[in-house]
Amino acid sequence: MFRKRDSGGELAIFFATDLHGSNVCFKKFVNAGRFYGATVLILGGDVTGKMMVPIARQKDGSYLSWFAGKRVRLEADDEVASFEARISDMGFYPKVMSEEEFQELRDDPEGQEALFHELIRSRLEEWIEYARPRLAEQQLKCYAAPGNDDAFFVDELLAESGAIELLEGRVVEVGGLEMLTTGWSNETPWKTERETSETELRAMIVEMIDRLEHPENAIFNIHVPPHATALDQCAKLDEDLRPVSSGGNPVMTSAGSTAVRELIEAHQPLLGLHGHIHEGRGIARVARTVCVNPGSNYSEGILNGSLIRLGKGKVRDVHLTQG
Amino acid sequence: MATEAGERVFLRKASGLIKSASNTDVFIYDVGLVSIGLGLGFLLFFGPAVYLGGNLYVGTLLAGGAMLLVGLGMLTWTIVIPRSGGIYNFGTRSMWPPLAFTLSFVEVTAWLFYGSFGAVYLAQLGIAPAVSATGILTDRPGIESFGTDLAGEWGTFLIASSALIIGAIILGSGMRRFFFTQKVMFTVAALGTLVFLGTLIVTSRAEFVSNFNGVMGDRLGVGDDAYNGVIGAATSAGWSDPGFDLKQTILLANWAFLPLIGAAFSISIGGEIKQVGRGQTLGILGAIFGSVIVWLISFALIYRTMGSDFLGSVTYSNLNGVEGAATPVTPFPTLLTGLGADSVTLTVLIALGFIGWIWLWIPTQILYPTRAIVAWSLDRVAPDKLGTVSERTHTPIPAIVLCLAGGIAFVGMLAFTTYFQLVIFIELAVLAWAIVLLAGVFFPYRRPDIYEKSPLANMKIAGLPIMSVACALGAIAAFLFFFNLFFDDFAAGHSRHSMSVLIGWFVGAFCLYWIMWFIRRRQGVNVNLAFKEIPIE
Repeated sequence: MFRKRDSGGELAIFFATDLHGSNVCFKKFVNAGRFYGATVLILGGDVTGKMMVPIARQKDGSYLSWFAGKRVRLEADDEVASFEARISDMGFYPKVMSEEEFQELRDDPEGQEALFHELIRSRLEEWIEYARPRLAEQQLKCYAAPGNDDAFFVDELLAESGAIELLEGRVVEVGGLEMLTTGWSNETPWKTERETSETELRAMIVEMIDRLEHPENAIFNIHVPPHATALDQCAKLDEDLRPVSSGGNPVMTSAGSTAVRELIEAHQPLLGLHGHIHEGRGIARVARTVCVNPGSNYSEGILNGSLIRLGKGKVRDVHLTQG
Repeated sequence: MATEAGERVFLRKASGLIKSASNTDVFIYDVGLVSIGLGLGFLLFFGPAVYLGGNLYVGTLLAGGAMLLVGLGMLTWTIVIPRSGGIYNFGTRSMWPPLAFTLSFVEVTAWLFYGSFGAVYLAQLGIAPAVSATGILTDRPGIESFGTDLAGEWGTFLIASSALIIGAIILGSGMRRFFFTQKVMFTVAALGTLVFLGTLIVTSRAEFVSNFNGVMGDRLGVGDDAYNGVIGAATSAGWSDPGFDLKQTILLANWAFLPLIGAAFSISIGGEIKQVGRGQTLGILGAIFGSVIVWLISFALIYRTMGSDFLGSVTYSNLNGVEGAATPVTPFPTLLTGLGADSVTLTVLIALGFIGWIWLWIPTQILYPTRAIVAWSLDRVAPDKLGTVSERTHTPIPAIVLCLAGGIAFVGMLAFTTYFQLVIFIELAVLAWAIVLLAGVFFPYRRPDIYEKSPLANMKIAGLPIMSVACALGAIAAFLFFFNLFFDDFAAGHSRHSMSVLIGWFVGAFCLYWIMWFIRRRQGVNVNLAFKEIPIE
């Protein structure tokens, strides 16, 4: 870890996940290989943001927007540009529009969704253009997979990028090790884009395991962490998506996948790469498998990651980083 | 499908969009850590006996005002960096990593010591006096004597260690059990306080004097009028009420400030509060205001029922072993209230409430350090094993065991030696907080990349970032109370041995960081890089 490039057949992977649209976190991710001395970059799922922030032009020439629960009035164009940059770094999608367009959009869910897609596409295209020359210059291999929060068109964008290799549903070789990948998760309270029953999730992963020659030496890059580990602990929610508390403290629960856990226990791969639960930052062992969830602090502009050194058929070191 | 949230933004259907935790939850968390009962005990026991001329009302208001400033400073930190783990997260983002680790280590050991301190008080001021008082009220010398034995060295050590072990077992068995027991004990503590206040309201001075004389008349060597006899004996032995003394009042404020620090402990769960601004504001400020108000009401009722001269005399006599006037049980005001009402039931209920308040500290003061230790381990400045989390209970068992061992060691030192002044480690923690608050003054300028993304970004006072102003005021208040403890020989002080503990602990923590740095270096790990921001090219 933190050695200048690997040596002696050692593989140094930098893995980060759940960037949720944060510009600054993605840029840090692209630069992380050089900084930490990794030779392979793997970006876990949930690359798209969750919130659109309209910046509505008013009749008096000022702009009205919303930040941290409060109205924000912006007077000059440079203020607007600065505001756009700031909230883009936090993973939000700013959109300048007229007040009339904003009012129309409020009552138009389909229009909101279409605009979301346009902004997500535009952000990802910017990212790819940013990454292309830098990855080439560093001669870094960069892989990425979508997560349960990502729309399906994200796959097409990544697959066509030429700079980043799409992993979803595939078995690929990384530094001599086989790696299977999926961004699908078990069911969540939010009914997101890529979630399914434990039974179907299990079938999807088993189909990939069947393609592995050496499951015991493989990497399971699965967005959702295994159930009942330190990696899947999050606040328990009631039906109204409100955290359940007891004795004045939030009650924690396991949100990971039982299917993922069972399959890791059954096949005991070398390494499990996970995300999904932002507060589940940590390292856990499931049987002999080292499972990692670097967690996520994307809205603070901090890139949570993990630098993993593999060599001689074992995980030599895992270091959780905050860049 | 997108939905509108708030007034002017739209949300996608995505995971993690949860509504805020109840603000009341944060308030209960912070009030529980203030330990209103133990604070009340400290103030009414040490105040009139040790700080002659000190005014409880003014001292408490001074401490409340200072803690308000500290709380506001910490509030800005936790809003800007809404992470769980306390000052370690703030420090690693704002200062040299070895210093951040040192401050965190010092803080962690202070809270661990605080937990042990609470466990010792559970024995000496909670359980033992309650047993003795029960023996006195039921006229059973055997029970009374047993209570006295429980307050001895071994009794204290065994009870306090057992409490720590039970606390650690509860923590180790899972957070749900921990939350449940805390909830139960909070209810017991709150009910006990209500019984305490209710008893004071319905007990007149004449009834109290009569009952005290009836219970203690034969036991004390100051005549049948034990109430006035105690005042006379204490006065002869040196106790006096010289009238208002500002210096003593300021020193006395330490005993209000000390428990009030708990009001800002919700910084350790910042990551678990969604609307961190509103929740933390209510929690931290509400706990300070609520505690101060309960204390002020209690002082008024205690003085009305018992009289200030008597309270000062009886506590002074006990602390100084005044011949014939030292009560056979520690005259904690909560206990005196039960005795003064001449009721075993009320005495037991009030004592249980008091025990409940003390208990609320014990497992939580183990929990706070374990969170920091796990964070150190993940950052590779502590052994990997300490970051291990049990698959079954999801709790960091090795870190809990380490904290338990440290806690029992502290209990042993408190029970068998006089090596530590009462709150010497709190002096260290207050200094650590003061330094972190000072770093907060410059944070908006040093880390605009983080600060400008926070809800405080556009808030200014006199043209300065609100965080700079709040942290400056908080740092001033924390440094003032550090020096207040520094010059309070009874609570902490600056004797040669106090200073050796203080400096030794800082230096030891600093060395520990570099030992781990060296070990990791040999393993090919540069821990410093873990705290550095990745440059964007």
